[in-house]
Amino acid sequence: MPNMERTRKFQLRRLMGRLRAYFSKPANVILLIFLVALCLLTLYPLLTMLLETVTVHAGREARAVKSLGLTTGDYTLYHFKKLLFTLNDGGDAGVKLSNSWIQFYGPFFNTLAVSLTSSFIAILFGGTVAFLITRTNIKYKKFVSAVFVFPYIMPSWTLALFWQTFWKNVNIGTGTSNGIMAAVFGIYAPEWLVYGYFPISLVLGLHYAPFAYILIGGILRNMDANLEEAATILKTPRWRIISRITMPIVKPAMLSTFLLVFASSMSAYAVPVFLGSPVRYYVLSTKMKSLMDTYSGQAYIIAAVMIIFGVAILMLNQRVTNSRKQFTTVTGKSSQISLINLRRANRPIAIILVVLLLLVAVLPLLTFAMESVIIKAGDYSLSNMTLDFWIGRNLDYLDQGDSTGILFSAKVWKALGYSLLLAVTCSVVAGTSGILVGYGVAKRRGSRLASWVNSLSFFPYLMPSLAFGAIYLSMSSHVAWLRGFALLALVGSVKYLPFASRSGVNAMLQLSGEIEEAALITGVPWWKRMVRVIFPIQKSSFLSGYLLPMVSCMRELSLFVLLVPTSNTILTTMLMQYSEKGWAQFGNAINLLIIVVVLLVNLTVNKLTGASIDKGVGG
Amino acid sequence: MKKLLALVLAACLLMTVVPAFATVADTVAASENLTHDELVEKAKAEEGTFIVYGNTSRISTAAENFSKLYDIPFESNNLKDAEIYTKLESEIKGSAKGADMVMIQDGAQLTYAIEDGWVVNYVPASVKDTVGESDRNPLVHQYINKLFIYNKLGENVPAIKNVWELTAPEMKGNIIFKNPENETVNMNFLVMLTSDAWAEKLAAAYKDWKGEEIDLGSYKNAGYKWIAEFLSNCTFGSSDTTIAEEVSQETAAGKIGLFVLSKLRSSSVLTDNLTVAQYDASENGYTVEPFSGFMYPMYAMISANATRPYTAMLFIEYLMTQEGFQPWGKSIGAYSTSTAVTPNEGDLDITVWKDTLVMEDPEYILDNFDDVSTFAIKYIQK
Amino acid sequence: MPEIILKHVTKRFGKFVAVDDLNLTIESNAFITLLGPSGCGKTTTLRMIAGLETPTEGMISIDGKVVFDADKGINLPPNKRDVGFLFQNYALWPHMTVYQNIAFGLENLKWDKKRIDARVKELLAMLRIEQFEKRYPSELSGGQQQRVAIARTLAPGPKVLFMDEPLSNLDAKLRMEMRTELKRLHRDTDSTFVYVTHDQLEAMTLSTRVCIMQNGLLQQYAPPLEMYNNPANLFVADFMGNPTMNFIDGTAEVNGATAQLTFGSLHGAFTAKEPISLTGKDVVVGIRPEYIRISDEGARHANVYSTLPAGMETTVKLDVEGTMLTAVVFGDVDYPVDCPVKFDFSKTAILFDKATGKNIACGTLELK
Repeated sequence: MPNMERTRKFQLRRLMGRLRAYFSKPANVILLIFLVALCLLTLYPLLTMLLETVTVHAGREARAVKSLGLTTGDYTLYHFKKLLFTLNDGGDAGVKLSNSWIQFYGPFFNTLAVSLTSSFIAILFGGTVAFLITRTNIKYKKFVSAVFVFPYIMPSWTLALFWQTFWKNVNIGTGTSNGIMAAVFGIYAPEWLVYGYFPISLVLGLHYAPFAYILIGGILRNMDANLEEAATILKTPRWRIISRITMPIVKPAMLSTFLLVFASSMSAYAVPVFLGSPVRYYVLSTKMKSLMDTYSGQAYIIAAVMIIFGVAILMLNQRVTNSRKQFTTVTGKSSQISLINLRRANRPIAIILVVLLLLVAVLPLLTFAMESVIIKAGDYSLSNMTLDFWIGRNLDYLDQGDSTGILFSAKVWKALGYSLLLAVTCSVVAGTSGILVGYGVAKRRGSRLASWVNSLSFFPYLMPSLAFGAIYLSMSSHVAWLRGFALLALVGSVKYLPFASRSGVNAMLQLSGEIEEAALITGVPWWKRMVRVIFPIQKSSFLSGYLLPMVSCMRELSLFVLLVPTSNTILTTMLMQYSEKGWAQFGNAINLLIIVVVLLVNLTVNKLTGASIDKGVGG
Repeated sequence: MKKLLALVLAACLLMTVVPAFATVADTVAASENLTHDELVEKAKAEEGTFIVYGNTSRISTAAENFSKLYDIPFESNNLKDAEIYTKLESEIKGSAKGADMVMIQDGAQLTYAIEDGWVVNYVPASVKDTVGESDRNPLVHQYINKLFIYNKLGENVPAIKNVWELTAPEMKGNIIFKNPENETVNMNFLVMLTSDAWAEKLAAAYKDWKGEEIDLGSYKNAGYKWIAEFLSNCTFGSSDTTIAEEVSQETAAGKIGLFVLSKLRSSSVLTDNLTVAQYDASENGYTVEPFSGFMYPMYAMISANATRPYTAMLFIEYLMTQEGFQPWGKSIGAYSTSTAVTPNEGDLDITVWKDTLVMEDPEYILDNFDDVSTFAIKYIQK
Repeated sequence: MPEIILKHVTKRFGKFVAVDDLNLTIESNAFITLLGPSGCGKTTTLRMIAGLETPTEGMISIDGKVVFDADKGINLPPNKRDVGFLFQNYALWPHMTVYQNIAFGLENLKWDKKRIDARVKELLAMLRIEQFEKRYPSELSGGQQQRVAIARTLAPGPKVLFMDEPLSNLDAKLRMEMRTELKRLHRDTDSTFVYVTHDQLEAMTLSTRVCIMQNGLLQQYAPPLEMYNNPANLFVADFMGNPTMNFIDGTAEVNGATAQLTFGSLHGAFTAKEPISLTGKDVVVGIRPEYIRISDEGARHANVYSTLPAGMETTVKLDVEGTMLTAVVFGDVDYPVDCPVKFDFSKTAILFDKATGKNIACGTLELK
């Protein structure tokens, strides 16, 4: 008997020792904390959402299933049957006019087409620019890299509105008025260019191209030039080097970009509404929104489908990043980077690039500025211009919701302050969490815990904003402190954690473990290693992990729309309201204000720390 | 996974708070016979900010005026109807402080909101003589109408006298409507057309227009036929404001829209280029067969977990007065249900509209929405 | 004077066993080399001693103090083990100057400013990098970065110094130079060095004892020359020495301490100091290249297959009727290709059991 007791004591001691060893590693503690937190913040909402797909909701939905003997709160598969398996009510036209096809399968394929195309555009455009900026001696680098992120800063639907006002004409869409190209230059664009699949994909692709630029650029910037030079010495032609050496190395970044852009495009709502509705082009997100208002069970099914899609791509991505084809690029051993000399092609390529950027990044801003000063739409003469919408007073006669120009409007300043507060809070929470997650995941790379946390931290990105917001709203009804600002900040932080955790993980993976161990061995405590060693080395990557959530929060709408407290509006809800009310001048002015504020923040951070949104999520 | 689930559930249980207090419904029921002064007194005794959600942006002005009058701090929030219902639901379920009072459209959903106890109806004693029985339960604050309004420029002015004209092939692409999928009141309107009463009127109008009996083919009734052919000819705008703007453009000759009349007040709409079909009909003594648009109620309700129920009652009472209606009284397109409020200048009387427009019947809508909307969306596709 | 003891140390990564039941005693003041091909577990061993990796099983003590014991649940963090670690890629902090890199660890030990400054200056001088004090690592050459890394490691005056292939990133000439300096450093600092390398020459030349590992298992732990002359098994014999030992498969007729060998195209009489115990008949005969003597008195004929004259010595490949032998001739000698020569075996040869690969006898071999 005493023997057994001794064994037990002995085993207990062994266990305690192991536990102590386990918890003495900050990486383990971080990962466990985040595992629990992320389960609560992402898996729980997901389960809630899945439950919604089989729940009968009050209103039209309850009435629709009344004949089945069901009532509000009951569980049913009716929503699935109605949305996915009603394929026989198309009459003579067959399946194409069936409810399921119209409400789900048709929009599903449209979504697929749009998301794939926009991902392709984003990677091609963003990746090319990233390559030119980081690996060649192209001219006007500063301008290009500064301006390239503009489309991302603008709320995406404003870019869509720009596209529409730029090209629209009386031959297409509602056919009621001419935009700039038609009115000024007499160019009547065909419908496919202005409405539907192509412009939706293009606008989303351009809007998200900075992702590609940031992610791919980060890798290219840090890539050891020796890798390419080694191939050059082996007399490999340049295109072969790019396709066989450079491309495989940036492949993980390209896949990450694909995942981000695909998921974003899939859940983008405003762009397809503005550019799709006039030609009856529908995608899943627009269908989800309209079903949310009437048959929300079906809407949640669509949300679930979008999430499944995202998860599939995430898993693909995971396989690539978890494989042994990982490249540690910062080792603590320094090497030089040599730039490709474009020689005679330099100027033409640079000019093409600059012109393109002027068109997609600068022209919209000018248009917004212009539209914010003209009184009557379509009349661009000086006599039709006023600065009233910016600095005017006593504008009651306009009946546009505000009696002063936006710069003197207490409402606007208050909303701006609230937006900034929200954005900064989210960025601090998400950014710091991202670094910690990155640290934990990189340190325990390959362990199951790390890959769980890594996946979970990315998960919120796959949840369509609108549904995510709705679920958090209903969650908040169970948690006393989760109200108002706390709720907004939490939702924003969780939703944009993926940006920060991506940049955190990538930055940490690039950093060889020895760098930290060298400090560990001399007894530098953990927090000091983080603050004095790790953070400064990967400063720019980490800071972009702070900046991206901030920028995204500043221009986010659908995530917050249900949660914005009654006392405080944020700029984007105000902007959307103004756009919908047709108060174009105020709307455009506010849009510009958002962009300018974000640019100022970016510039300040850049000047103070050298980091900026365009300077790499590291890879 | 099981452990995880248990963990999550435990956490949720911990976070749940169970409140208990006298219900708003009780308070409201007990206050039926309070005098105005008593109401004011009780309202002023309440604490916290008075919060209003509204479907209409002008609720803010009304709340502001009200706040000044009684010295009560307020917050107003302009949301879409679906958003208001979503927020209300979560506030009620979570017993969270939210709206005290809501001003909202879509009677079909409201039926459920009342049934499930999200909102409480309150009819101020002062309106018992001025508001008709049919508008009291639930209390309708005002009606809003969406009318056929066309661009009067050019050769082919779509000055319709019969809605079947809109189904003609030459009208294809010339009608602008907000996608009924995106705004429930628009779909409600279509649903109402399939009712026996409107189907009959539409069949009669068809005979007037074509001179022959309607051939329904596979359509269930004339309402369905009109919906199908009308929607096929429509293009869809993103909001009523932009539709109003677009139809009023000089380049938009030959276009007709079906949108909120009050949008004409916006300075960006070139009203000189527009004709309201019903105005023209009234002026020239003809009718647009069988309707010239539709009209839907805007309800004033008290939230079931209002923290200032007396203030909400006082505010509703205030809204039903001439002074309270003032924010909507400046321009056309809003119709108070109270006979004490003078109709807006330059607009037709509410009785005319009730005769010429399609009105909502929440029960009929609830029963048929699924069927009709499933039918209608087929014609919203390409 | 710290002594490091490892008892039954095992490290598993999932199912993969990186280090298997390792027992090792590192005497104080020794210069130990952990040697083996990549993936043999040598770096893991080093990192476990340093505390950067937690063993799955076993006990480790440094200087009489138990720093890890799986059974007792003891696990001291690296900074409590009073050790220094020199990393393969130097792991210099790129955002700090040379001075800061060296001083950072000291600041952390709460040394006062003056003392830190004195110590850094001392190290800069010792490693002859005074002029780079204000530079950043990226502004230094590989060799200079290496010196900074060494200085940083030495700064707190650790009693045990771990080095993980510190010279593998340097060019041959620098590596030679750094080896001499490391050896000198070992004497000057009076500490215990544990050094990981896959370069047998480095192990031979630097260490007082070599610990050679394969697939997580200790193969032999002995002073380098003993290991060279009397390798425990075929793996060790093959790994140590360049050019490598000649291995010729053959059979043996054992008779006490002698054996008649038939190997390749050769026959010989093998005489060991002790009786030979061999279960089967198959053996591998191992002969160091330098013990093949080419001379006119040689017992057998062979043809020169090729030669690699290096000035100081020449490696000669001999073809003995199909059996290839590598020989080393010292001095400035060369032979024309296909030139016939005579040779015999001098000094020792080793007999390995073919079945187990174990060294069964060490003795002299006379050609017939």
